[in-house]
Amino acid sequence: MDSRVITITSGKGGVGKTTTTANLGTALAMQGKKVAVIDSDIGLRNLDAVLGLENRIVYDLVDVVEGQCRLRQALIKDKRLPELYLLPAAQTRDKNAINSVQMEQLCQQLRREFDYVLIDSPAGIEQGFRNAIVGADEIIIVANPEMASVRDADRIIGLVEAAGKPEPRLILNRLRAEMIRRGDMMDVADVLEVLGIDLVGIIPEDEMIIVGTNKGEPVVYEKRSRAGRAFLNAAQRIQGEEVPLDEVEAAPSLVERLRRLMGFGPALVEKRVRS
Amino acid sequence: MGVFAFMNGRKKLTPGEMAKERLKVVLVQDRIKLNPDVLDLIKADLLTAISRRLEVDEENIEISLAREARWDKLYANVPIKRQKLAFEWDPPAHTPSANLLRGEKIRVEIEDDEDE
Repeated sequence: MDSRVITITSGKGGVGKTTTTANLGTALAMQGKKVAVIDSDIGLRNLDAVLGLENRIVYDLVDVVEGQCRLRQALIKDKRLPELYLLPAAQTRDKNAINSVQMEQLCQQLRREFDYVLIDSPAGIEQGFRNAIVGADEIIIVANPEMASVRDADRIIGLVEAAGKPEPRLILNRLRAEMIRRGDMMDVADVLEVLGIDLVGIIPEDEMIIVGTNKGEPVVYEKRSRAGRAFLNAAQRIQGEEVPLDEVEAAPSLVERLRRLMGFGPALVEKRVRS
Repeated sequence: MGVFAFMNGRKKLTPGEMAKERLKVVLVQDRIKLNPDVLDLIKADLLTAISRRLEVDEENIEISLAREARWDKLYANVPIKRQKLAFEWDPPAHTPSANLLRGEKIRVEIEDDEDE
């Protein structure tokens, strides 16, 4: 099977690695692929909760690596998608509980079963990060358009290159069109100019991400969510499909604004839902 | 836009542009640990080289490093004195008439015509 192991990492914490992993994994499974998402953030388990699977955990990544259980026993099947599985992180251990060799072996094992293996990396550049990338064919860096995040992303690009991996690609997360329009936030071109890597996705800031996390449902299920649609597009690009990168127009077009004024646009629908 | 505007402070940058310009500088510093003394030496070397050909404003030369699209770049901002452009020309060896000119330095002066 021609399977791919992709690690989602960022350097900086809180930029959306786990959300991205959950949504890309779900999107790829929705698009007909067999997918495993791995939470490699040992001690700070979160991917299970974002996917709404926190109550089903019996065994975890460390149990598998230490031989306490078989891989199949630890893999949790998603609630809705029969081809999506989660391998959760251990919560009561630390990131030194496993080493790079064990992680690489685990990736090899998962390759045999799945089309895509997505690894959610811990923040930072220590052992946990190195474990997360060791078995990967491809690295996707998640960054926000702000200084600390882009700076850390550049550091990660250097470390990924040093590890002999192909040039990572970028998901630029939490873009705020209104701030960009005012010149208060770096836009996509600014970040690309600085980092010089290819894009796989542009994800607009979207309150529905938080709503989705609260419910344990990735936002890709939510048809009205712009972030959800952007993640679906990114998943298609990961599969090699050509999808135009038009997720972030700086401002809604005139036609769009007229539509909203007349009550046909998403803005009004949202209001109605809330009231 | 770019680094020059940032260095001269000529244009007021938006916060988004400031972030980009600051990042370009900070990323180079993260990557190549270049001693400020070395940068001063480079500045002196450049000044020596350029001064052979052009009269420059030594006080206002600015050298900086910046990172763009995976490349670390050295930016040199060298103001040329406007009053008079003057340089000494050593004809290069491949100049056809080099034999005639060899050994002689030719002084070239370009007067800045204020009326024009």
